[in-house]
Amino acid sequence: MAQTITIDPVTRLEGHGRITLKTNDQGEVSEAYFSVTQVRGFEKFCEGRPYYEMPALMARICGICPVSHLIASAKACEAIMSVEVPPTAAKLRRALNLAQTIQSHALSFFYLASPDLLLGMDADPAERNIFGVAKAHPELGRAGVGLRRFGQHMIELLGRKRIHPGWVVPGGVTQPLEQAKREEILALLPEAYANIKMALTAYKRIAGRFQDEVDSFANFPGPFMGMVSESGGLAFTDAGLRMIDAEGLVLVDNLEAAGFDDCIGEAVEPYSYMKFPYLKSLGYPRGAYRVGPLARLNIASHAGSPLADIEMNEFKKLANGPVLGSFHYHHARLIEILHGIEAIEQLFSDNSILDKHVRARAGVNRQEGAGIAEAPRGTLMHHYKVNDNGQITWANLVIATGQNNNAMNKGVLQTAQRFVKGDKLSAGMLNRVEAVIRTFDPCLSCSTHAYGEMPLAIELLAPDGTRLDLVQRP
Amino acid sequence: MATQPIPPLSSHLPHLPGHALVLACGNTLRGDDGVGWRIGCAVEQRPPCDGLTVVLTQQLLPEHAEAISTADIVVFVDCSAVTAAGTVSTIDLRPAVSLPRILTHHLDPAALLRLALDLYSRTPARAVAVTVGGESFALTDQLSKAVRSAVPKALEAVRAALAAETLAPVTHASTHAS
Repeated sequence: MAQTITIDPVTRLEGHGRITLKTNDQGEVSEAYFSVTQVRGFEKFCEGRPYYEMPALMARICGICPVSHLIASAKACEAIMSVEVPPTAAKLRRALNLAQTIQSHALSFFYLASPDLLLGMDADPAERNIFGVAKAHPELGRAGVGLRRFGQHMIELLGRKRIHPGWVVPGGVTQPLEQAKREEILALLPEAYANIKMALTAYKRIAGRFQDEVDSFANFPGPFMGMVSESGGLAFTDAGLRMIDAEGLVLVDNLEAAGFDDCIGEAVEPYSYMKFPYLKSLGYPRGAYRVGPLARLNIASHAGSPLADIEMNEFKKLANGPVLGSFHYHHARLIEILHGIEAIEQLFSDNSILDKHVRARAGVNRQEGAGIAEAPRGTLMHHYKVNDNGQITWANLVIATGQNNNAMNKGVLQTAQRFVKGDKLSAGMLNRVEAVIRTFDPCLSCSTHAYGEMPLAIELLAPDGTRLDLVQRP
Repeated sequence: MATQPIPPLSSHLPHLPGHALVLACGNTLRGDDGVGWRIGCAVEQRPPCDGLTVVLTQQLLPEHAEAISTADIVVFVDCSAVTAAGTVSTIDLRPAVSLPRILTHHLDPAALLRLALDLYSRTPARAVAVTVGGESFALTDQLSKAVRSAVPKALEAVRAALAAETLAPVTHASTHAS
């Protein structure tokens, strides 16, 4: 009999959402929807505010990746000011963004994903959480805590606050780096290296157990987009964007923030407040693409740091061309942590990081500006228009999680068709449908800029729309 | 942030055997919820003893388990949405036996003690929660009158917790009120 299954809420995500699965008369899943039912608000209520307030305001969208919002917003403001950020300020912001990426990826991998990976998709849900990991694999739990601490402490040292630091401003940063802080950060690196090496070794040891998940977790051909350095290496803060297709052919290159809107459109679907960005030249939904760690590793030819280069070479051997299986986001995240630690070491080993010229000042010299940064979950774009007084008249944000929206929906359908059979969900089936979304590490509060919590469900619907089953978590 | 000055603790404790940790929790923009944070600030500004670390946080996080595991005594300070407004309670804590199935934004002190035990094989010999009952959690940086009046008593409760004799080592038992 045809049914509808609702998973509500989907757990171990940043934010809340709902999954609806529809089955046909044969009991096979025929349709799947990942719904985010939060309302966007930030773009509207910032209208009228002075442009220079925007980084601090926009950072409040998220407590996990406020640094990315700070940087993308500051860059959009700098376009309005028509200023170039002093080189040392740019380096410091790069380091801050890397620190955030490390702590966010550690949260995603160790706290949210590792229970599935280390304890198994079918493990008792009561044990399949960070407490279960702590009990069964305390050394990896400690590594996760250590990497989170490293990233957050570095953000606090630079920005004076772990969350929503006010250090990044239009034109650069408010204060230069002090020698004592530089030394403290460098002293933290050996432990960070040890932790990520342990995690990478552990991951590669267990990854082979998840071939079914590799095959069915949003494993499909489609474009990828991300920032890439001039030499083709990983970049997170100051470079252009590239989009490639499933064969690795470049569709768009050197895309700058100012041209983002010309290239990328945003579609809407009736079941979710989260938009569906797509490459305009391919149209929607064909032009929907993936962003984030997997996309960045697929697009870049190399990491740009010695240890991560070795890991990335190994990663690229997973496929003959771009790695298409979204399960590999987990692996990519760990490689990016390693690269982040190495890149921070490179930046802080150079004496120019202590230069005192860290802020350019100007007023309104353009009435429109856009800025791009790579957030942990993917490309983030802020675009503002101002009047002559510098007040915001219009704003649009294109968020990483939204750019993975189409892929998450495809992944839910693919996974449900593989694992959901019959009219009742087992815990393992249910968890896999959730886990495919977790691979993307979505931040639903970011992607809809919502205030407060929003539950997410899986529901099973009959062909006539009658709800036959609903799964809701406490 | 705090518009009302918070009085200092009445006296300096002469000696503490080991490292003490005060984990002060709260959101100063949500009315009475900020009382824990404010008390933590007051303790940090005028520590009642040597060897004391104060951590101010909006919520308890898994990474706090690391700091807890290195302490000999930990005092959690927070607002209670359950007890009557202005009521100061001191609760002895032990590592939780049953743990939340979902962990994202909510973690209680007993679960955190359990996490410290599982990850680092150590918890403080004594763990205490000092709570102040709240009545208003609206968007404001002001404490209600009842909670504001209770702050001196809560500070004394923190001091008393830090001064108390160390309990026997913690074993696997659930949280209980003293």
